[in-house]
Amino acid sequence: MNVEDINICILRIEGTNNEQEMYLAFKRLGAKPELVHLKQLTGEVAEAGRRDLFDYQCLMIPGGFSSGDYVRAGAILAARMKSAMKDDLTKFAEAGYPIGGICNGFQVLVELGLLPAFDEIMTDCPEACLTTNDSARFECRPTLLRHENKGNCVFTGRIPEKDILLMPSAHAEGKIIFPPQERGRHLQRLIDNDQVVFRYVSPEGDYAGYPWNPNGSVYNIAGICNPEGNVFGMMPHPERVFFGHQHPDWTRTNKENGDGRAIFVSVLEYIRGKF
Amino acid sequence: MLYTRRPLPFELYDVNLNDANGRQLKEISAELGLALSLSEMKRIQEYFTKKNRNPTDIELQSLGQAWSEHCCYKSSKSILKQFIFGIDAPQNLLLGEDAGVVEFDDEHVYVVALESHNHPSAIEPYGGAATGVGGIVRDVVCMGAQPIALADSLFFGPLDLPHQKLPKGIKHPLYLFSGVVAGIRDYGNRIGIPTTTGMVAFDDGYLGNCLVNVGCVGIAKKKHIIRSRVKRPGDVFVLAGGRTGRDGVHGVTFASMELTETSEEVSRGAVQLGDPITKEPLIHACLEANERGLLNGMKDLGGGGLSCVIGEMALAGGCGANIQLDEVPLKEGGMAPWEIWISESQERMMLAVDPKNLEEVLKIFDDWDILATAIGIVVPEKTLRLFYQDEKIFEMDLEFLIDGPTYCKSHRIKKVERVGQEEKLFKEPQDYDHVLLNLLSSPCIASKEWVIRQYDHEVRASTVLKPMQGIIGLQTHGDAVVIKPLEASYRGLALSADVNPQYTKIDPYWGSASAIDEVCRNLTAVGAIPHSFADCLNFGNPDKPERLGELYEAARGLGFVAKALGIPFVSGNVSLYNEGPTGTIAPTPTVLGVGIVPDIRQCITTDLKGNGNSIYLIGKTHRELGGSAYSKLMQAAAMVVPRVDPCVLKKRMNALLSAIHNGLVLSCHDVSEGGIAVCLAEMMMGGDIGANVDISEIANLRSDYKLFSESNTRWVVEVKRGMADEFEKTFEDLPLFEIGEVGGNKLLIADDRELIDLSVDDMRSVWKKPIYDYMG
Repeated sequence: MNVEDINICILRIEGTNNEQEMYLAFKRLGAKPELVHLKQLTGEVAEAGRRDLFDYQCLMIPGGFSSGDYVRAGAILAARMKSAMKDDLTKFAEAGYPIGGICNGFQVLVELGLLPAFDEIMTDCPEACLTTNDSARFECRPTLLRHENKGNCVFTGRIPEKDILLMPSAHAEGKIIFPPQERGRHLQRLIDNDQVVFRYVSPEGDYAGYPWNPNGSVYNIAGICNPEGNVFGMMPHPERVFFGHQHPDWTRTNKENGDGRAIFVSVLEYIRGKF
Repeated sequence: MLYTRRPLPFELYDVNLNDANGRQLKEISAELGLALSLSEMKRIQEYFTKKNRNPTDIELQSLGQAWSEHCCYKSSKSILKQFIFGIDAPQNLLLGEDAGVVEFDDEHVYVVALESHNHPSAIEPYGGAATGVGGIVRDVVCMGAQPIALADSLFFGPLDLPHQKLPKGIKHPLYLFSGVVAGIRDYGNRIGIPTTTGMVAFDDGYLGNCLVNVGCVGIAKKKHIIRSRVKRPGDVFVLAGGRTGRDGVHGVTFASMELTETSEEVSRGAVQLGDPITKEPLIHACLEANERGLLNGMKDLGGGGLSCVIGEMALAGGCGANIQLDEVPLKEGGMAPWEIWISESQERMMLAVDPKNLEEVLKIFDDWDILATAIGIVVPEKTLRLFYQDEKIFEMDLEFLIDGPTYCKSHRIKKVERVGQEEKLFKEPQDYDHVLLNLLSSPCIASKEWVIRQYDHEVRASTVLKPMQGIIGLQTHGDAVVIKPLEASYRGLALSADVNPQYTKIDPYWGSASAIDEVCRNLTAVGAIPHSFADCLNFGNPDKPERLGELYEAARGLGFVAKALGIPFVSGNVSLYNEGPTGTIAPTPTVLGVGIVPDIRQCITTDLKGNGNSIYLIGKTHRELGGSAYSKLMQAAAMVVPRVDPCVLKKRMNALLSAIHNGLVLSCHDVSEGGIAVCLAEMMMGGDIGANVDISEIANLRSDYKLFSESNTRWVVEVKRGMADEFEKTFEDLPLFEIGEVGGNKLLIADDRELIDLSVDDMRSVWKKPIYDYMG
């Protein structure tokens, strides 16, 4: 399909607050993004406002603090989605439509069981957790990510393996952990399934500790996808570095395009080719 | 009997004002927590005697709010009128509203607001600071503007104060600092508005009364700007947002008194509770309703709650109102009508809606799961009436209620000792390296990264110059941040907030003038044209003539420079009574400056860029060490604070801007605390590169004065190799000194002899750590 026909559903509820910049990222590339309140998908609004998930070719869950993140980051939005649209979500993911979550959106996808989703498209219980940063502080800082996916993830098809990209992090709960007894096995499955997408590195390219790994994530993981590659979540913010002048050091480097742009280009290219 | 309860199912008292004598009037004011003076009580008595009845408790409470210093600026208005208001400038589009409205481009305006939340933060730092952010965001939203950036200026007592020295009833600066930062962080991050700039300063004077000044900038289409007033009789008052509770009762009267040892126990209930996850959708809903043209007026509920907002909106539209107080959605049962009327519960907005649009407006709020309730109607006569369960409990003429008293209280101007005794007191140091390292690690100069990185300073993805600048992982402080507010335009807004309380403590006039100079320097350093100011004037008890004298001098200093530059104050706030058991604060006129960047792609950061580029100093260095970081370090009393000459400032800014816009400048940093030495060190740390500098030509002064004096209107600039001639031409007859070259990994400074030889790494390690060490 043509890029101008691609409808992107950008989900919002109270507290999601990165939707505008994500909307703009898709708009700039010629697609048709729409900001859609959860209630529009679950039928809790007047007829004219209702939307069907299958009107869209891609579902994006933006960053922010959905419902205040008061229970655990992403938990409330995930519970609301699961109770009202579990079947739709499963079918949507099964059909190969991309689902992306940035920052809080990543937390939501993990809470939903759509990531890492080793054995089924959506697990009943979360298999991982994005928990409080090791520093116990909110960390807003530039982070460097090495792209380590070997071609599975549909959101990074345009990014060469091993490339290092700058994308800023801004979160208090971004440390991915697994149940202690499953830690080794889960990590191995992520690697074997080509589910690891981005890992935090230092400017020298090392898998360094804080502050390059801003949260203490296991294996320096910054972003993962499901085994099929069409559900993807990452903590750092590609939508904040669409243009060169959004990079924190642009007065030194003078880039025209930002490093985050490739994420949006990649997923649109995948949709164009597949549907 | 002073109070008679009416036989009603709810609590309402008639207050026997008309028979009360002077002592009883004072007693009533104290018992009801009105904070009104005897003469004010007498004025009220006279009004009700004429009406031939006694007031109800809710009427008196309403007057206590409306006539508080916080709401009607009764002590400061005459001074502000004389110096601050009315600087003639075409960009200033709309005056007298909750926020300043200033032209951005042909189609858009930016909106600026700045306010203090000092007393609540001193009692409950987390909630006080969070609701400070909430309040200032509402001030911007109620103009119909999308908030795009927050700025916070924070002032605390010394972090290293031993706990046993902490006076009774005072909270430790470490506790206040961490609580305030957490409050701003959790509120700002959750509503998704970037906290981009501000300042943190420490001084003994803030021990008993910390200052939290919060600013917000928004952007709107000109056609969407909405007034804080009703349009016509028949308009419906719609209360939108959070429920009303007992939190924040008597907030404004609490803000209009000195803090005491017992403030915590007595006034804890005056601090409101913030709820960012009601605020976030409330912003969306208000802006959507406004952009669809469904609103006639909008105003936020701040100090004084409903009691202020309804009267002010109605009177501004030349009307009155009938309000059904029992329609107000409550957090808890059993609230007396007066509590509902003056509660300052957060996250509430008042809308004036044409009845034909009412249904549509309510639907928008319902879709966002936000409460919106019609609570009253606009009437033609300028009278405000309240009804509660069919009982009329309030009826007053709005002009009497709203137009509170103003005073010309007496002020006394302290004579500033201006004798230059420095040379006797200062012994020239032997070890300059040691001095510079000590300056870099002093809390006021040391890295504020601990604060900055807890705030999401780039949500909305439009912060194109960030607060930390330079090579990632090695960043240094920037002078100003730059926001690119519009998708389709490269035009930007630069923001910087500043004041140096060490100067204003010695000399409120020149200290305040210096604050304007510094803000202008910061804006110019990134390539922005200074365009407007907001001021937040924090002072002690205005009933003491010397405190009011400080306010007078500060306002005079601000006004003098701003007027000469032709840059208006578009928004402001006065916070008085900032004193407690430990004494008064330093006079603290915080200035938030906004600049216009014609094209953000030309912006300049502070980090040095590369080998072989020339380093220039713009401006003259004088022996001005009063209030300097150096004099504090040397524990020597220097009394001459830096002077400002607005004509000189204007000329140098114009020359620097033209050099930046012509692409000659690679990095630029203003010279402020710690003088040239600290300025150079900060530029080097961000670029991770050294410099070889010679200061022998810059002035005929002792070396330490040259290096550490804080004379205004100076910048250090890195100029592209091969562009030096063109750069120098731009400055023709202005003072400009080529002082060195970028290169190596050390800061080498020489005068007639070698003074400083320090590696960039050594400087960074002492500069970066101190605040982390205190705060963890």
